[in-house]
Amino acid sequence: MYQKISLAVQEGEIEEVDQLTIKSLEKGNDPLDVLNNALMSGIEIVGQKFADGELFIPEVMMCAQALQAGIDRLNPFLKQDENPHRAKIVIGTVANDVHDLGKNLVKMMLTANGYEVIDMGVNVSAEEFAGAVRGHNPDVVGMSALITTTMLEMSKTIEYIKTQGLHNGSLKILVGGAPVTEKFAKEIGADLYADDAIEAARILREIL
Amino acid sequence: MRGLEAGQYRPLTESDIHSINETSIDILQEPGVQCNNIRALDMFEKNGAVVDRETKKVRIPRGMLEDAIASAPSRVTLCGRNDKDDLLLEGKRTHLGTGGTVLNVLDMETGKRRQTVIEDMKNFARLVDALDNVHFFMLPLYPNDIDVEDVDVNRFWWAMANTTKHVMGGVYTIDGVRNVINIAEHVAGSANKLRERPFISMVTCMMSPLIIDDTYGGLLMEVASHGIPVVCPAEPLAGATGPITLAGTVAVSNAESLAGVVLAQLTNRGTPTIYGTVATTMDMKSGYYLSGSIESGLINAACAQMAQFYQLPVYATAGMSDSKLPDIQAGYEKMATNIITALAGANYIHDAAGFLEFCTTISYEQMVIDDEIIGICMRAVKGIDTSLDSLARDVIKSVGAGGNFLTSTHTMKYCRSEFLNLSLGDRKSRKRWEKDGAKDCAERAKEKARRILAEHSPEPIPSEILENIRSVYPQLNIQYSSGGVQSLNNRRINKRQQDGC
Repeated sequence: MYQKISLAVQEGEIEEVDQLTIKSLEKGNDPLDVLNNALMSGIEIVGQKFADGELFIPEVMMCAQALQAGIDRLNPFLKQDENPHRAKIVIGTVANDVHDLGKNLVKMMLTANGYEVIDMGVNVSAEEFAGAVRGHNPDVVGMSALITTTMLEMSKTIEYIKTQGLHNGSLKILVGGAPVTEKFAKEIGADLYADDAIEAARILREIL
Repeated sequence: MRGLEAGQYRPLTESDIHSINETSIDILQEPGVQCNNIRALDMFEKNGAVVDRETKKVRIPRGMLEDAIASAPSRVTLCGRNDKDDLLLEGKRTHLGTGGTVLNVLDMETGKRRQTVIEDMKNFARLVDALDNVHFFMLPLYPNDIDVEDVDVNRFWWAMANTTKHVMGGVYTIDGVRNVINIAEHVAGSANKLRERPFISMVTCMMSPLIIDDTYGGLLMEVASHGIPVVCPAEPLAGATGPITLAGTVAVSNAESLAGVVLAQLTNRGTPTIYGTVATTMDMKSGYYLSGSIESGLINAACAQMAQFYQLPVYATAGMSDSKLPDIQAGYEKMATNIITALAGANYIHDAAGFLEFCTTISYEQMVIDDEIIGICMRAVKGIDTSLDSLARDVIKSVGAGGNFLTSTHTMKYCRSEFLNLSLGDRKSRKRWEKDGAKDCAERAKEKARRILAEHSPEPIPSEILENIRSVYPQLNIQYSSGGVQSLNNRRINKRQQDGC
């Protein structure tokens, strides 16, 4: 049964994952067990196949949706302390920048890797980022920029989060986007840098 | 994408085609062709050509030519040993593959040029068997370690034993032709079965300008008489054995190709005959034969149009390079002639994979690179689908302004078929590329070639057929071992290779 669910996740069969998850619960399987050994083990393989170039982006998105369908079914049955997600990420494109393709790819990749992603959208101000950190208490806050001029907004946002006292021990700041480099990321005080979506998922896996 | 319909590139207009046709018909009457093979000369005369016995000049009348064009089939299927590899040559359907015949190979281990041996034939056949975009295996090399009289059978046998793709090759002796056909009949199951599904075919050639050679004319008639598909390509070198002007060389090439078709049809009316050209240009600075010139691509694209005008399947030449190694020049020269000849709709484009250095050297890594180049060419041939679903009006409406198409099922549906998926080209981020060793294309190609040669085993020829052929043709040195069938030559060849031979 778990193998079937895992395969359905890998094939992006949303309806099938949904139905199989219901069946699995009806059979009396432990929800946390279904999550870890069926859904997550399936999405793990998806992430690996994508990193290896075997799966294409639209296919991974479908798999992520299938995973989500399963998680939605399990959620009501999980205990308070049993978080179905690996970790929580707040993500957005910085102020004055409306480009979201790269940010969406990161979101997709992280979702497909079992993270809960709270997407703030585009043109997100420093205040809005800080508010989201306060409200959602994420493990990571991720910022994206495509234009060299808006890169500076990243610096401002990080500065603001720090002055608000939100950059404490557990919160990590992740930056990325076409013009952003590892060197720049360090200069503006970010904790993490990734140059594409696959890299973002890999880095988070290492630290979380 | 093998065999897709092309024809998007037309260097000749309808009136150009008409002018070249009339010029070629005129050439076949004055000066005519010189035929050095007496049997062919007799046959031309008997069928109504004007023959001058003293000068061996044959003037081919318009009627004889038109009759031959009419009797030659417009569609020839060159089969694979497995029908998944069949090639249907007709109209503007395009296929590309290897060509022949070189004497040297760039050794993968040393990077140095050395003489080709029969082991290379086996390896290249096996490599091509695994490369999807190389559509057929034309015998690309001469085995320098095989006795002259055994070359024909060794070349064909070791190719057909190592790939299920169609095997075409040049031949050297009448006995060779007969033995190769005999072996192929064994593999096919019977003489009839080979004619029904010819998985081998043969090439002879014209001597430009306008000579039917004694030996090659004889070989052409021999192959035609057996009903095995045959090509008799014209080989003018613009500026040397053809006029320097491209139109003039196309006219001469066309006349020669047609003369070959006439001789094949006079020999065996209705036998599968492929119109052929290997025309290219000479370097005016050095006198060298050039294989990578863009003019060669233009000539071959034009010849494809001429063959389409006669409704004859066409064997053309493209995808070569004069560079000595798999470098940037090799890449651009190969792409240029391959893509225009493919877009012109030439049916069987040979020399399109593996060759370097004026068509004298073959390279394993280049073969892998050319597989990718051909894939790109075929994607261009495939063109743009404008069906309702492809126009995507509904999807555009539902995504709306400012949305994105990445998440639509339409994208999911086409994401594997609409864009070509490269296997060799680098599309990584710099960081990942550096992490993977910062390798250039040739280096990656070498690794891929090594991997295929280490892992790929082609569909074998059934053991009872093998046993039979082994006993009839000891010169093939077929040997059983735990790993299957091998050549006794192996040890000797390895030693020769170590010696730097």
